[in-house]
Amino acid sequence: MTTKEPCLCLPGQRLCLSDKTYTAGQGTYERQGYIYSQLAGCVDIVDKDNIKVVEVHTTGEQTVIPAQGDIVTAQVSVITQQYAKCFIKCVGETVLRRPFRAVLRREDIRATEKDRVEIYKCVRPGDIILARVLPITEAHTYHLTTAENELGVVIAHSEAGHPMVPISWTDMQCTKTFAKEPRKVAKVVPEHFNAPSETLKP
Amino acid sequence: MALCDAEKTFVLHGVQDNFRIDGRELDDYRPMELETDVVSHAFGSARLRLANTDVLVAVKIELDVPFPESPQNGKIEFFVDCSANATPEFEGRGGEDLAIAISNTLTTAYSSSLAFDSRKLCLLNGKKCWKLYVDILILECGGNLFDAVSIAVKAALWNTRIPFVKNVNIDGNNIDLDVSDDLCLCERLDIENAPVMVTVCKIGDKCIVDPNAAEEHCSMGSVVVAVSGTKISTIYQTGTGSLHPATLTESLQLGFRVAIRLNEALSKVLSRIRPDEEAGFLK
Amino acid sequence: MPVDHKRINGPEDTVPYSLYTKTNKQSLTEQYEEIRKTGQRTDSRAFSEHRKIFVRTGAVSQAKGSAYIELDNTKVIVSVFDPREIPNRPDYSLKGELYCEFKFAPFSCHKRRLHVQDAEEKQHSAIMKRALESTVCLHEFPNFQVDVYATVLENDGSCLSAAITAAGLALAHAGVPMYDIITSVTMGIQRDTFFVDPTVTEQNICLYPRPSESDTEHGIVVLSKLHTHDQVSQFYQFGNVSLDKLNESISILDETCRELVPIVQKYLVKHVVKNLQRNT
Repeated sequence: MTTKEPCLCLPGQRLCLSDKTYTAGQGTYERQGYIYSQLAGCVDIVDKDNIKVVEVHTTGEQTVIPAQGDIVTAQVSVITQQYAKCFIKCVGETVLRRPFRAVLRREDIRATEKDRVEIYKCVRPGDIILARVLPITEAHTYHLTTAENELGVVIAHSEAGHPMVPISWTDMQCTKTFAKEPRKVAKVVPEHFNAPSETLKP
Repeated sequence: MALCDAEKTFVLHGVQDNFRIDGRELDDYRPMELETDVVSHAFGSARLRLANTDVLVAVKIELDVPFPESPQNGKIEFFVDCSANATPEFEGRGGEDLAIAISNTLTTAYSSSLAFDSRKLCLLNGKKCWKLYVDILILECGGNLFDAVSIAVKAALWNTRIPFVKNVNIDGNNIDLDVSDDLCLCERLDIENAPVMVTVCKIGDKCIVDPNAAEEHCSMGSVVVAVSGTKISTIYQTGTGSLHPATLTESLQLGFRVAIRLNEALSKVLSRIRPDEEAGFLK
Repeated sequence: MPVDHKRINGPEDTVPYSLYTKTNKQSLTEQYEEIRKTGQRTDSRAFSEHRKIFVRTGAVSQAKGSAYIELDNTKVIVSVFDPREIPNRPDYSLKGELYCEFKFAPFSCHKRRLHVQDAEEKQHSAIMKRALESTVCLHEFPNFQVDVYATVLENDGSCLSAAITAAGLALAHAGVPMYDIITSVTMGIQRDTFFVDPTVTEQNICLYPRPSESDTEHGIVVLSKLHTHDQVSQFYQFGNVSLDKLNESISILDETCRELVPIVQKYLVKHVVKNLQRNT
């Protein structure tokens, strides 16, 4: 929070003239040459290449919707020959209030040897995966991709129902039965995984 | 219906110059065709064709018990069926919202006893009354459904013959109705003040009446004005846009003026049908 | 709200006992004559005076945004939930959708309401949707639907307008992008009397024409306004009213809607300030 008094605004409040120096940014709209607020919150003016972008941010919690390019955490629910159905549970580090349906297609699972991918060797129902949201086409659901080293299965359970640990890029091992199962394993990098767990510590 | 931006601009500019895409002026209606008594099993029916819009209305009558809150009133109910016959957009449950909107607007428009006196439908206070089922079938959808439906309903109600009840016998809890079996002996409804609806559609800065499908597509919002006699019985706003208060009063004015004109024309047409009908083969 | 099929609704043909007491239409006419004679409403308000309003946000903690409104005895609670995917929709839509549900609680009116939405409630839901659609920036959440649920806890007239005003507040509270602040007011008309923000008795007075020699106008008008842009987002009327009276009612309602704006603004500011203090 800045030291100066925050500038409050309400939906529909006229903020300023829209001209060469000021343009409408997030949380605002433009009508007949003026910039108006869309939200109840605080006005923020961001300098960007000599143009002042007027933004309004809510003070309450943000409404988060998965968008193209976001890293999301999802749970696999159903797998078929062609795709795996998932539910997006988190976007970045924000937990969603309700899950969004998404589809991980066969060709989007890994970057190499796309045509030889077999879904059941990469993900299983119940797995927690990290994935990136693909551009939204006209189709109704989100499409995900795990075709990056950092993306793929992070938490999985073996057929016996015990947690598994990764042992290579393509295999995970059960902690109790030591049975190996194939998975598309994610290389978990600190900024995705460790950061939240550290904050959890008292 | 899909229109590209250029087509929309064309429609908009036409409206601006008081010359619409089909050559009409802003407050002109398209030609109408009205037929009554078209359904043999109904007590009254009408079919209205307004350019490409085709509506069939049939009235069925049944005996019912009045609502305990209003023991002196009969009942009237409106059902609108937007079948996929009319336009593929109505497929599945697509037409449901529109159907509910039309039937609700009709119900509120007919709710005032000054518009439609349902006390005439009561046979025995608190015990027996007529219930009118007004079934509206949209056969083809070429825009402006509200207006077409209201005119067709009015004509169908005008055409409705209610069986003549010679006398009512009460024997304990049994109620015996003595209905006349003479087909020519029947009662007519008083539809003098039955509401006529006019949809005023705002396109650009101008307001138009009787929009066709293309014009409806270009409009952000419209106001349905139901006029009964010289009074307004219902106003219902449709579409997503909002209006300036001045535009609202202006469109009410336009709707009111056109509705009066429409109502006059309709009464004239209906009065012309009457003599022919009396010359049926039974009389 | 899912329909509860297992609930026993009581016998089909029960009637409220009040029908057998002496409070039906006859006495409404008398009440109206009384009001006309004394020139004073039953709660001693002026005819163009709105009831005192109590509003607060955050009434439902589970919802994304919520608002509670009281107009004396009319009590309405509105909750707004996070955007979700539009169910049963195969194609992609560029605009978001608004889903509104208006419901009377079973105990809210004189007569018991059923749990299934009846025609009146469906109509009110449609009007509410109509009113809110032009204030919410639907293009900001394509292919998603925002749910707005309004429940009337107690009906003492003007519930629809109370629900619309509260829904506007709840949407702002939920952080849903909006073009403007929305307020709504109901008016009852009986002959030459305009009841701004009518109570349920006044509403019933205006529902039917009262016997009179000459002028028999009656009706209910609901108007919703967007404040900054001076736009009517929804206008609904039924009854039997002349055009002149209607125009007059529009200007009165317009004025009253404007009077409500500071109250709504005040509570929104309060909410923002409270959040700011919590964040720092």
